Amino acid sequence: MTPIDPRVHRVLDGDEKPDALDVSLRRQVQRLDEAVALLAAAPCATSVAERVMTVIARPTPTRARRLVHWLLTPRAVVLRLRPVWSLAVAAGILALVLFPLPEPGIALREGEGIAQFVARFPGARSVAVVGSFNDWRPESIPLDDSDHDGVWGATVVLPAGAHEYMFVVDGERWIADPLAERFVEDDFGRENSVVIVRPRRESHL
Amino acid sequence: MPKGEDPSDAEVVATVLAGDVEAFGVIIRRYEPGLLRFATRMLGSRDGAADAVAEGLVRAYRHLASCRDPNRLRTWLYRIVSNRCKSELARQPTGSISLDDAPPLPDPDNVEMTLERAEQLAMVERALAQLSPDKREAFVLKHVEGMSYEEMAAATGERIPTLKMRVHRAREALLRALEEAE
Repeated sequence: MTPIDPRVHRVLDGDEKPDALDVSLRRQVQRLDEAVALLAAAPCATSVAERVMTVIARPTPTRARRLVHWLLTPRAVVLRLRPVWSLAVAAGILALVLFPLPEPGIALREGEGIAQFVARFPGARSVAVVGSFNDWRPESIPLDDSDHDGVWGATVVLPAGAHEYMFVVDGERWIADPLAERFVEDDFGRENSVVIVRPRRESHL
Repeated sequence: MPKGEDPSDAEVVATVLAGDVEAFGVIIRRYEPGLLRFATRMLGSRDGAADAVAEGLVRAYRHLASCRDPNRLRTWLYRIVSNRCKSELARQPTGSISLDDAPPLPDPDNVEMTLERAEQLAMVERALAQLSPDKREAFVLKHVEGMSYEEMAAATGERIPTLKMRVHRAREALLRALEEAE
């Protein structure tokens, strides 16, 4: 890379006047000034003020309230298991889907809990949740927006404990959940959302 | 918050922390344009920039109490949005950015000049996109957002000599790219 004359840097940093430069160096300053002026005046993203105010004005429901809401709302259970979790677990979950229990509850095995993922992405064609529980595979757990109101959701049975996750919108945009209770940096300095799944015995229901 | 005058950032922050959610709108109106401009230049995508700024502002609201110096709210907000942008860039397979293909609408009174300006802007954006995220961040904060090196240090958490080096390298790379393109 060709270094710029230090005097050009000093002028661009405001430490010297451009008058002291010869014509060729002044031209370099002018080129960069013109580039900056173009970038400063170029179109940029439209306002997100309304979107932000809508989110922050909404009271954050407690975990217990979200569970009650989930129990009172009919929903499809989306579940993927790793092969090592045995066919017996898969058969049990399949039985639950085919023959739902009459009581407003769900049969969980020891050490499992319920995670409900809800996010608002108006206009999105698809939304999925990826995380440490599905090896970050976007096709694994799709969210549903059957009433097309832009609110996407999925309820998943997960092992109890903390799970890192993100949403994948339209198969390409990875977005942290702004409503997550916690965030954590991964090994690459990025931030993931964290959901804490409580085991069945700790449920308040 | 005093009425009829422009409240300081510290006053607005105190009002929000006291429970007035609507007062956060003052912060958004005050800093959103710069944050959107910064994120758009960082990501090259207006949709991606809108997501990064929206997530950043929600996160800022939720963690407002941890803003240790409300008088430096601006650089704190840039730091949050910058982290969102870098996270997004790190997730893209090549680590590069894909630019929006939406030149400004021609001015009917002077189509030729508008198109020429759009071509120049596309050339500059391509050159900017070739920079590493760290250099792009340093250049945009310094020159497009007009920050001092002290403010940049607060916004990035980097040391001033490191930032100066990045700005210098970015200028050199940009200038070379622009000269080659002309």
